[in-house]
Parts: sequence; structure tokens; C-alpha cells
Amino acid sequence: MTAFNATRRRFLIGTGAVGAGALLSSCVTQSPSASGGKSGGPVTLQSNLSSPQAKTAMEQIVAAFGKRGDTKAQLNTVASETFRTQLPTYLTSANPPDAYTWYPGSVAESYAKKDLLLELDDIWTKPELAGYSDALKKLCTSASSGKKVFVPTSYYWWGMFYRKSNFAKWGVQEPKTWDEFLDLCDKLKSKGVAPIGLGAGGDTPWVASAWFDYLNIRVNGATYHRELLAGKHRFDDPEVRKVFDKWDEARPYFDPNGTAIPFQDATTALLQGRTGMMLIGTFFADAAPKDALGDLDFFQFPIIDPKVPVAEEAPTDGYFASARTKRADGVKELLRYLATAESQELYIKSSSGTVLPTHPDAKDAGTPLVAKGRKLVESAAEITQFFNRDSSDALQPTADTALVHYLAKPKEIGSILTTWQRSAQKIWSQ
Amino acid sequence: MALIGSTRRSRATRVPPVVLAFVLIPLLAEAFWVFWPALQGFYLSLTSWDGLAAPKFVGLGNYSEMVHDAVFRTAAINTVLWLLLFGGLSAALGLGAAMLLQKERRGIGFYRAALFLPVVFSLVATALVWQAMYQPDGLINNVLEAVGLGGWKHAWLADQDTAFYAVIVPALWRQVGYVMVLYLAGLKGIDPALYEAAKVDGASRWQQFRFVTLPQLRSVNAVVLSVIVIDSLRSFDVVWALTRGGPYHSSELLSTYMYSTAFQSLRLGYGSALAVVIFVLAFGVIVSYLVRAFREAD
Repeated sequence: MTAFNATRRRFLIGTGAVGAGALLSSCVTQSPSASGGKSGGPVTLQSNLSSPQAKTAMEQIVAAFGKRGDTKAQLNTVASETFRTQLPTYLTSANPPDAYTWYPGSVAESYAKKDLLLELDDIWTKPELAGYSDALKKLCTSASSGKKVFVPTSYYWWGMFYRKSNFAKWGVQEPKTWDEFLDLCDKLKSKGVAPIGLGAGGDTPWVASAWFDYLNIRVNGATYHRELLAGKHRFDDPEVRKVFDKWDEARPYFDPNGTAIPFQDATTALLQGRTGMMLIGTFFADAAPKDALGDLDFFQFPIIDPKVPVAEEAPTDGYFASARTKRADGVKELLRYLATAESQELYIKSSSGTVLPTHPDAKDAGTPLVAKGRKLVESAAEITQFFNRDSSDALQPTADTALVHYLAKPKEIGSILTTWQRSAQKIWSQ
Repeated sequence: MALIGSTRRSRATRVPPVVLAFVLIPLLAEAFWVFWPALQGFYLSLTSWDGLAAPKFVGLGNYSEMVHDAVFRTAAINTVLWLLLFGGLSAALGLGAAMLLQKERRGIGFYRAALFLPVVFSLVATALVWQAMYQPDGLINNVLEAVGLGGWKHAWLADQDTAFYAVIVPALWRQVGYVMVLYLAGLKGIDPALYEAAKVDGASRWQQFRFVTLPQLRSVNAVVLSVIVIDSLRSFDVVWALTRGGPYHSSELLSTYMYSTAFQSLRLGYGSALAVVIFVLAFGVIVSYLVRAFREAD
């Protein structure tokens, strides 16, 4: 009996100790200077690339990295929505994951400004990254500290995608200018096809922002676009109104289900010939069956005002690391490996292969489609990323609401833009 | 006096340390995991915070912003409408189903199980199935087409006039089974002698329902009401999975608006203020009902 009592007492003391431990560890999360985790063990890589093909590709890269040297890496793949909402928590915690998939530019800058990102100046001088283009160097440098904080590994492009066989069947050609584009839409509509697919329904309303981005960089130019997204202009300015005047000309040709289905379903509609074309990034090919890939082609978003320097939307993807990592040397080694031509080629081979590598010597997938995409990006006078990447993830929902509202009630554009400005103001002001 | 009495008594009969531990440890855990975060939530609602920098104290700024926020107004009205429609219909339909299925007959278990089955499914999984049915070329539109009502075809979730109601239906589909089980238990507890007495007195079926069944169900009603109010105010998953409060806030509830301001716009201060409003609403409704119920019981 006494033995039983003793064990029970010991159990209670044990529970108390666990409780106290929990209390103490919670104090640790409050103070950033405290050291929580151990510095050994593998480098943790938090990844939002959760689509099956991309996930397999990442696993192969991490395995290949582990075979090279003493440092090992551990991949944690997280659903992209969870990843996005958790990222601030990861970065501000005392014992964060070490490296992350994410975007350079203003999105990374919002964290760099708060000293949450690991400085990477030293690895940018190493052979793996020394040959990267000046544009990429600039993109990965924090504006506030002047230090490099990002390692880019791939980029892709947006374009007006269509099926070659369908265009041949309908007897139509790629347009170059806005007027030719509207003619093409007219022709397709007369054949009973919805000319422009969208896919801004379900959980992908952000796809509509591609239209806003492209119309704005074609009508007002990339500089104005970036300034607008940074809060230096207003959404209810006459310049923005001009964007929607142009959109009004194309709107009658949009698929009426454009805001009812997500882009994956819109991709299916495009492949089945129910819609004629679709403004989308190359990632949509992940959802396309392999046999349709060879039949896909795209044309550049039509030129509206020839006086405006041609800009293209080409988002860059890559990695940054937490400033609070306990394994800075291991992280840098991993990032250097990710910057090599070898790892980027491995990724392209194992995924759908529609991205372009950032390493100047790395080979892309080599298909005519990818060659055309590379030419499009390289001939552009300016590059924009995408709405959220050129502003912030917090501003994206304001655009989603405004653009979906516009597509449903285009006549209310005046009040829509006023509301958009008001909600954007709340994001910028904090 | 009472205090002195109790101290003297406690000195007389010492509380064994094990009992103390059993009381104090759960209290500590509760305080740490529930009360402390709740208090922090209140504090955050008085700040402006993006989740990265230190929270900035803004007093009642978030609450005064709410007064002028059109989206908040839509969300509040929708939440009240949701409470009335979702709550009212699930109570009425749940009671109706329970009345229909209360008599033991052959095969009745099958029907009860069928109605209760949706409760077992995850609401997010349920929502995904309904989302497929609501698609422009989904089951519902195809059926309408087949029966010659092609003109009624709709992008149910993408139209601001139908999105809100299209979201209520799956939520109801699930809740009815749950409320039915609660009422079935309540109906089982009614003394059959009461019905016999009513029949002897010549009461009609409606009178039996009105003057025997309903008063006897009072205690179950309290449970059902609490469940419904809490479930209505925390309804989030089904709306988020189907429309994310869209298109352009037309199916926004306070809960979805709270989530999107806090975790998408990263305005955690304002999001906390919305959470406080939801808390006050839920707490207010339930406390006022319980107070009334207890007063009547006295």
C-alpha cells in the first residue's frame, strides 16, 4: 500500500514538473534571446510545395543533398494555405525551422525589415551564386539593410495559354495587339466557344489578379503598377479606372462560369475545348494530363499601348532562412546546394518541368514551350512578380474581393474601387 | 461569519494533499490553456498587431473602427440571420424528425441512423461533396436540367444572392440529425401516463403536443438552445470550405471575417476585437437564457 502511495505521489510530482516545464517553455517563446533547441541534428526545410510532383522532386533533392556531405536536411511539407498563415509564427518563434520555400522581393522584405531573415551575403560570393544575373541579385537584396536575404532557384511565366489543335480546328491565329485579340475573341464566340477562361472561383480567387496586373502594366506601365501596390497611388485614381475600361472591352468574352470554378477546373475546360484560352502561370500544367502537355502553347498578353515599355509577369521562387536558426552553417550549405545547376536540373526533371532554372548554366526541360517562355521573359524590358509578391499577402484578399465583385457587377466599379482603396489603406497603414 | 466558520472547519478536517492536487492541477491547466489565452485575446483586441512586431496599444480604436466597417455590418447581419435560419430550422426539423421517429417500429433504427449519419462526417469533407454538387456543371444543375427547369440553373456559390443560402443547407443537413438525437432522448424521458391522462381528457393530437410534449421538453430545450447558439456562432468550417465568406463578403459570418482579418490580412488586433464580439454575443445569449430558465424553475 505504501509503495502504491509513493508511486502515486511520485506521479503527481511528475505531473507538476511537466506542468512547470510547460510554463517555463512558454516563457521562452516570449523572449527571443533565450536559446531553446539544440544546434545539432539535420537542417529543417519547411516546404509549401505540396502538389505530388513537386513534393517528390523536393524529396529527391533533399536526399541528394544528404548524400553529398556530413550535413543532412529534413523536409517538412506543409499544405500551402497552412504554410502561408503560419509563416509569421514560424519566423518569430524562438526555435524556428531553419529554411523555407518562399518569394523574394517585397514579401521577403517585410520579414527582412524586422530582422527575421538570415543574412546571406557571404554565400552570394561563392561559385554557386556568383554567376547569377544582376536582376536576380537586386531582387534578393533587402532594401532596408542592403544585405542579401534570399536564394532564388526557379522562375516561371504567365501567358495566354491555348491548345494548338483547337486553334487550328477553329482556324485562328495568335494575336499581337489588343484589337487583334478582341477580334480573336469575337471569332471564337461566334463558334460557340467561351473565348476566355478564368478560374477565379472556389479557393483560387487570386487568379483574377493576373488580369489586373497585366492590364495595369500594359496601360500604365510596370513602374506605376509597383508604386500603386506599394501604396504610393490610390486604387480610385483615374489611371486605375482606365484599367477597368480596357477590361470592360474584353469582359463580354469571359467564360460566364469564370468566378464559379477554381483554376484547376478552368484548366479542364480549356483542355476540353469549352474555353478558347486562359491567362495563367505555367504551374497549371501540373494539373494537365501528360499527353496534353505537347499540345499546349501560349502567346504574350497583347500589347495595348506601344509607348509603354513591355513588362512581363515572371514570378521567382526560392528559399530564405530564419535569422534565429541554430544551424547557420548547415543552412548556408543547404542553400548553396539548392543554388547549384545540379539540384535545379534535378528538380525540373522530377516535376512537371515547366519552370526555368535561375542558375545560368542549368538546363531547362528543353521543350519548345519552355524555350518560348524563356524568350518571352528575357526579351521583356521589365519584370513584375504577381500581385501578392509585389505587395504583400495581406493585400491580396482586398484585390480578390474587388475583382470578383467587378466581374459580377461591372457597373458598380466606382464604389468597388473606393472600397478597395479603403481596405488597402488599412493594410498599408499598419 | 460563514468565512470564519469554513476556515475553522477546514482546520478541523485537513484536506488531503491528493485531493488538493486533483483540484489544483486541473485548475492550473485550465488557467494556463484557457483563461490566460482568453485574457490575452482581450488585451490584443486593444492593440494593432501584425504578428511580427510588438503589439501597439490603440485603446478602443478597433471597436470604433467596427462601427464604420461595412463588412462587419454585413457579417453581423448574416450571423443573426444564420442564428435564426440555421438555429430555428434545425430545432424545428430536428424536433419534427424526432416526433416522426420516436415510436419503435420495424426498421426505425435505419432511418434514425440515416439522419444521424451526417453528424459523423467531418464538416469539411461534407462541404467538399456539396461544393461538387453546387458546381456549374454539378449534380444540382444537372438534375434541374433533366426535369426541365434549365432556367433555374445557377452558379450557386458564386452568386451573391444564393451563396449564403447555399451554405446554410449543408450545415442544416448535418445539424438536424444531431438535434433529432437530443430530442429523441428527451421524448423517451416523458412519462407515457401523461399522454394517457391527456387522451382520457379528450385532448387532440395537437393539444397533446402543445400541452404535454413541449412543456416536458423544457430541459432538453435548454440544451438544444445552447448547442444551437454555440454552433451557429462558431460556424466557420462549412462557410470557409464552400465560399470563404465570398463572393465579395456576401456569405461572410463574424467567424469567417475574424479569421480572414486575423490570418489573411494579418490584422490580429482587429481580428481579436471581432473574436471578443463573438464571445460577448454567445455568452450573452446563453447566460440570459439560463438566468430565465433558472428563474422559472424557482
